[in-house]
Amino acid sequence: MDFDLENPLGNFHDLPCDAVPSLFLIESDHIPPPNYCQSFKASDFDISVRRDVVSLISQLSCTFDPVLPYLAINYLDRFLAHQGILQPKPWANKLLAISCFSLAAKMLKTEYSATDVQVLMNHGDGGAIFEAQTIQRMEGIVLGALQWRMRSITPFSFIPFFVNLFRLKDPALRQVLKDGASEIILKSQREIKVLEFKPSTVAASALLYASHELFPFQYPCFLRAISDCSYINKETVVQCYNVIHDITREEYESVLNINSTSDTPVNVLDEHFLSLESEKTNGTNVVTQEQDFKRRKTTDYGNNRTVPFSHFHQC
Amino acid sequence: MEKTGAGVVVLSAKEAFEKLEKVGEGTYGKVYRAREKATGKIVALKKTRLHEDQDGVPPTTLREVSILRMLSRDPHVVSLMDVKQGQNKEGKTVLYLVFEYMDTDLKKFIRSFDQPGQNIPPETIKSLMYQLCKGIAFCHGHGILHRDLKPHNLLMDRKTMMLKIADLGLARAFTVPIKKYTHEILTLWYRAPEVLLGATHYSMAVDIWSVGCIFAELVTRRALFPGDSELQQLLHIFRLLGTPNEEVWPGVSKLKDWHEYPQWNSQSLSTAVPGLEELGLDLLSQMLEYEPSKRISAKKAMEHAYFDDLDKRNL
Repeated sequence: MDFDLENPLGNFHDLPCDAVPSLFLIESDHIPPPNYCQSFKASDFDISVRRDVVSLISQLSCTFDPVLPYLAINYLDRFLAHQGILQPKPWANKLLAISCFSLAAKMLKTEYSATDVQVLMNHGDGGAIFEAQTIQRMEGIVLGALQWRMRSITPFSFIPFFVNLFRLKDPALRQVLKDGASEIILKSQREIKVLEFKPSTVAASALLYASHELFPFQYPCFLRAISDCSYINKETVVQCYNVIHDITREEYESVLNINSTSDTPVNVLDEHFLSLESEKTNGTNVVTQEQDFKRRKTTDYGNNRTVPFSHFHQC
Repeated sequence: MEKTGAGVVVLSAKEAFEKLEKVGEGTYGKVYRAREKATGKIVALKKTRLHEDQDGVPPTTLREVSILRMLSRDPHVVSLMDVKQGQNKEGKTVLYLVFEYMDTDLKKFIRSFDQPGQNIPPETIKSLMYQLCKGIAFCHGHGILHRDLKPHNLLMDRKTMMLKIADLGLARAFTVPIKKYTHEILTLWYRAPEVLLGATHYSMAVDIWSVGCIFAELVTRRALFPGDSELQQLLHIFRLLGTPNEEVWPGVSKLKDWHEYPQWNSQSLSTAVPGLEELGLDLLSQMLEYEPSKRISAKKAMEHAYFDDLDKRNL
């Protein structure tokens, strides 16, 4: 048995082009159940507990590949959905954070120092040092709750598939796009509302968001590629894109301490989906829309923010 | 949030199952036919002591159990129904893998047709082959290779003629000790030529080669390439398919274990597999392509005309 856990669709090129990617069929097994988000909305306390544990996991994982904290937080959410929220004991939160981190590290075959983990977890208070046996027992509890389904299908699993649809030829540009989307995925996971969406939807929306930021001239092509993908529900991608947009803007505003009272502008994604609908019915519109789009973008961005057009493959 | 499952008593593995008989033993533990007391269901209970150290559940075990849990949804992969943790008399952690029980395997099935001239019915061969291709397509669709396909690893239900793939990863550790099957030393018979020649990069094609060997064996009731050493295995293959060269298999002479070999011309497959219809021979020839990238995929094999007249509704 051999497989690449991080990119299970990575050998997609080995499959015949008509193969159905199985991950789209089973990804729902690897996210918390639908009522998980509703239960959190009912209690600010529960949200703050989750945020505390997420924060602990992020501290533990800050030097590792972003897939690791994502996987660990996925375990956390699935565990909480199964077991209910923890008692408000800081040590219990820490133990859960360490256990989810440790299990994720094992799944990804990532080496880490148990001593560093202990030091980090005890920083700032004289809290308990967890014995190895204690962590092992907690790992066992998490494994049982998750029924050993630890190979979570995450948004990262779908990124190579969607990037292939975009047909970017330059490996460096593909990597920039992947990195941008990965950053967005990690930020989004901290908020409960993104958990309502399937990993493939989160991946598609994050890539669209990143491509809009990084490759505005090619954005319409990427949008069309996503829209044409039969495994993706377009309306859900719009919703998820909006959630990601809100989260990213909230973070931006909190950094600048801006209290914006302006109305939410018409969402870019909505505009372009409408544009695509027009394109399908009226050939003339295609040229008009395309020209308008390019003119707007040229004036919106300085040269440093864009990549020369010649680098891109035509749709 | 209320905890789900409150009040449900979780039985230990020993309490939940009644061991009926030991049916196998391997490097890592024992295999029992057992009955689940609550339901009366017969299962295969595979017990292994975890090679625990300070770090709890080993990463390899965690990864492989997770894969088995993910693959268990396919009707042509043996289902890992549950995983239970317990402790043995010495207080060491023990893992119980609970698999669905299958009463025979393809090896025994083939051997049951032991009278001269008694062949497996063509429609049975076709059905079994289709199920095998379907199960392998499912594994490959998840980016998972088996790498040790052989009749003994293909479990069957004699009543329904259903076939299921077993011995993926950790489950493989429970295979009956090799010494009991001296004529199948290290199971070379189903090994792809690129593996025998020391290729380091495995692809899904290694499993397709094994499927082809099994296909031929279903027809003739004897192994197609019964080598008793790696060299003999290669010579068996070359005698039938011709000694490969750079023309039929670009890159073959650069493989690590390539040497000079006697030069044979290829023989017609029909001489080695008499009684197989023309369409079957065509499918078999595509499974036994020397160049791995030219070998048919499991998915494409399912679409081959050989299966056109098979009633697939219950498969």
